[in-house]
Amino acid sequence: MDKASLSSTEGKPIRCKAAILRKAGEALVIEEIQVDPPQAYEVRIKILCTSLCHTDVTFWKLESGPLARFPRILGHEAVGVVESIGANVDGFKQGDVVLPVFQPQCEECKECKSPKSNWCTRYTNDFLSNTRRYGMTSRFKDSFGEVIHHFIFVSSFTEYTVVDIAHLVKISPEIPVDIAALLSCGVATGIGAAWKVADVEEGSTVAIFGLGAVGLAVAEGVRLRGATKIIGVDLNPAKFEIGKRYGMTDFVNPALCGEKTISEVIREMTEVGADYSFECIGLASLMEEAFNSTRPGSGKTVILGMEQKALPVSLGSYDLLRGRTICGTLFGGLKPKLDIPILVDRYLKKELNLDGLITHELSFEEINKAFDLLAEGNSIRCVVWMDK
Amino acid sequence: MENGNSSGDNKSSRKPIRCKAAVSRKAGEPLVMEEIMVAPPQPYEVRIRIICTALCHSDVTFWKLQVPPACFPRILGHEAIGVVESVGENVKEVVEGDTVLPTFMPDCGECVDCKSQKSNLCSKFPFKVSPWMPRYENSSRFTDLNGQTLFHFLNVSSFSEYTVLDVANIVKIDSSIPPSRACLLSCGVSTGVGAAWETAKVEQGSTVVIFGLGSIGLAVAEGARLCGASRIIGVDINPAKFQVGQNFGITEFVNSMTCEKKSVSEVINEMTGGGADYCFECVGSSSLVQEAYACCRQGWGKTITLGVDKPGSQICLDSFDVLHHGKILMGSLFGGLKAKTHIPLLLKRYLSNELELDKFVTHEMKFEEINDAFQLLLEGKCIRCVLWMG
Repeated sequence: MDKASLSSTEGKPIRCKAAILRKAGEALVIEEIQVDPPQAYEVRIKILCTSLCHTDVTFWKLESGPLARFPRILGHEAVGVVESIGANVDGFKQGDVVLPVFQPQCEECKECKSPKSNWCTRYTNDFLSNTRRYGMTSRFKDSFGEVIHHFIFVSSFTEYTVVDIAHLVKISPEIPVDIAALLSCGVATGIGAAWKVADVEEGSTVAIFGLGAVGLAVAEGVRLRGATKIIGVDLNPAKFEIGKRYGMTDFVNPALCGEKTISEVIREMTEVGADYSFECIGLASLMEEAFNSTRPGSGKTVILGMEQKALPVSLGSYDLLRGRTICGTLFGGLKPKLDIPILVDRYLKKELNLDGLITHELSFEEINKAFDLLAEGNSIRCVVWMDK
Repeated sequence: MENGNSSGDNKSSRKPIRCKAAVSRKAGEPLVMEEIMVAPPQPYEVRIRIICTALCHSDVTFWKLQVPPACFPRILGHEAIGVVESVGENVKEVVEGDTVLPTFMPDCGECVDCKSQKSNLCSKFPFKVSPWMPRYENSSRFTDLNGQTLFHFLNVSSFSEYTVLDVANIVKIDSSIPPSRACLLSCGVSTGVGAAWETAKVEQGSTVVIFGLGSIGLAVAEGARLCGASRIIGVDINPAKFQVGQNFGITEFVNSMTCEKKSVSEVINEMTGGGADYCFECVGSSSLVQEAYACCRQGWGKTITLGVDKPGSQICLDSFDVLHHGKILMGSLFGGLKAKTHIPLLLKRYLSNELELDKFVTHEMKFEEINDAFQLLLEGKCIRCVLWMG
């Protein structure tokens, strides 16, 4: 992509292809759309590749309720190149390789300035707003001129998208772009959870519920911190083999626990309980199991999964009283602009192992196959290439 | 009352002692003052003469409860101070005549958790509300005069002139400290102050909300005050607590009965512009824990539960809230403190006039008046009632 072709579209709407969700649970439809130029503090980017994350699937299935919107462009794990910038945009220029991220970082608010939090809420508190700064106005229109809704400030299942600078991270062009895309959501979330939220120390025992991309990234994160016992919990025994690559030492298949609960099995395996547990699926019952798997006195549970039916989590008050901690985290507690470049750097220095997370590659036209592969449990990350 | 000669050899004082105790025979009924027999200490145990003991709400909880882990007849009480009367074999930590605080939280000093900085939950003696001595299975040191076994409580059982404790449940302290102040550190004040210092690690300038202004809540306020919190908001249904609370550093008060159409958490979110840095639940109600969670600040807010609810009670959280709002929920027993390490530190801070204990003691009574103490606590008319043995 050379600069000349990028600058020819500057300031004008772009007509391009997008995979649109028109009806819950149904195949995305590839259609021509119009993408408006970026407003002040926004950037329009050309997506190079994007991968499917389970959160996309969760929203894809939502038929009704306040979180469902149609039509919508899903996708939020991706890598792109800056096509044009809006007014007042510093730090990005045409041609930059960038990661759009659902997690905002305005760098100015109290939370952004605090090391304790990554919970920026500047400009909007509504994570389903179409834009960060301008409310529900959308940059996408379909070929009938109808508004298409954005998705968590990214919308990457499209050849072009418009992203607020609070949701954009510039990265080194050295890292293979498909690996980079993983750092815009799943892998960063998992590693951040291990390093920042849990702050796992050497010699720890860790239980990881759900060995998808996020869970495996947690495993990699805790392995690098020197955890000595890493227990993976998954219904798919094939995940253990993959998990071993990331330091997994033990495996629990809930289907084979018999009369015992998963937490009972884990407590037996660890004498009293794990130091840390991570829930990386999004099921309230497993969040409870993860909580009950930890060691009294110091056990910490980190919730990463988004509950698929918004069910409540129920914790025993005596279990909590016995010195346990539970918290949830978005994006692994990381501040995107600060922390993603650090992860990129560690990958380039071969300290961070991300091999094997990309199990499939598809062309944009084949994007619906990615949903099937994930539903069948046969993929970890499926990368969809825009230009192939 | 036989107690053996303190100057005599230890072996000869290892006889059962006959003494007075306040026995809880039936749930919710007045304790019965009776003579009981207290057996000599086994290996790793000490027998102590109680100087004074204070009433804590956990005693009331297990006095009222009609289902396990409540059991009867039982000797309640776990906040106290005493003098070692005799020691069992293998006891090196203390000798006869030493002043000790009994602590319901075991601190064996040897297991992985006792050795870890992160935990105060000894795994050698896992915490549970047991009727027995911790080290020996189904073993009690108390019998009544009919020979019936009396159950222990929280490893202490201080509503008795003499009791027997495991070495894991005692801390030797300086005998010059006024007993009616020192005894508070064996449970309530340590729990509250520890929760602020150790569990939450409240920083200077923080905004803190405390649900329940009993002794624990007020101790949390004291701890938060010492940590330099700038706003300490107290929540209670009894407006009298605000007056009292001001002595403990409470800066604002919310009466949860008079919030009209709003929930307490809504009121607090408004008062604090989005929630407190730390919320402490010091009542023992799961629904209140949920309220506290709802008004701790998104992004870094911590909610800490200290109160003991009914067995089996559940705290229900909205999963969306848990994932999306960056809050932390934690519980702790005994304020996260390791008895043998931290109690001496708290006593030092008392002696250097930083930690104030006098204001916690609102009543001093005789042991025989113990049932009046229960009444005062049930009616919310006291903070700590200290009962002095004869």
